[in-house]
Amino acid sequence: MQRISVTATLNRSTLQFDEAAFQRLEQYLADAKRTLEGNPDQAEILGDLEQAVADQCTRRLAPGASVVTLAELQPALDEIGTVQVPGSTPGAMTRPLQQISEGAVISGVCQGLARYFGLNVTLLRIAAVLLLLATGGGMILVYLALMLLMPYAPLARAGKPVRKIPARCRSFVEFVRAKLGVAAA
Amino acid sequence: MTAEAKLAPIRKGLLEFLVLKIVGARSVYVPDILRRLADTEFATQEGTLYPLLSKLRREDLVLYEWQESDAGPPRKYYRLTDAGKAQLAALDEYWNLINRTIADIGT
Repeated sequence: MQRISVTATLNRSTLQFDEAAFQRLEQYLADAKRTLEGNPDQAEILGDLEQAVADQCTRRLAPGASVVTLAELQPALDEIGTVQVPGSTPGAMTRPLQQISEGAVISGVCQGLARYFGLNVTLLRIAAVLLLLATGGGMILVYLALMLLMPYAPLARAGKPVRKIPARCRSFVEFVRAKLGVAAA
Repeated sequence: MTAEAKLAPIRKGLLEFLVLKIVGARSVYVPDILRRLADTEFATQEGTLYPLLSKLRREDLVLYEWQESDAGPPRKYYRLTDAGKAQLAALDEYWNLINRTIADIGT
């Protein structure tokens, strides 16, 4: 017995791929994900790309055929092209220092710092927790200060939902800023 | 360095300006933008366009709305925000200035 096709859900479409095409697609999406590491819209852009792949493959399938092979997938991927990050000239620091609420654990400070410095957010969070332990809680003050000072990135309209705690932090910071008469960014 | 190698970064930098112009003309979805650019020196691909549009949206220059389509899933239609219109006007004006400078200098 041989597995002849894999059913994959691509954003809002479902398609069947043969094994080789599925592996090629997995590799393409993994590369795209890596290129978009630290981008707050990573998930949304990947969704857009998945949809583009699904649309292109559907258009290329011969009438009556239902399984996408490399014959359809490869030209589709060639047309979509590898993911290019805009303005990705090495050393050009154009990313704003902002808190990112979507996907945040507390308020989004670590995500914002990770984007600004181009670091992996998980590693940065681990470092923050280690510093918290090492300073006997002193890091809490640093976090609070950053939370009050760093502006918030505009919310993505169709991005990841904001969890309860980041949403409350954001309301709290906006409340404090309003009290102090600081224009909330 | 060949002339072509010098021109490539200029084209790359201008792509964002052109995308703003296209989105500014009317509400469009990504294949419209690709088609509009396809026959120009600025032909590009989805892999470039989606990250660029997401950056423009983060900068509050464009926004999108979902629209039903006759075939397939709903599509994202992009248009300019007020800030986007203002930035496009500024870029347009600056572009004209550069054009005049290039035409006049050395004559």
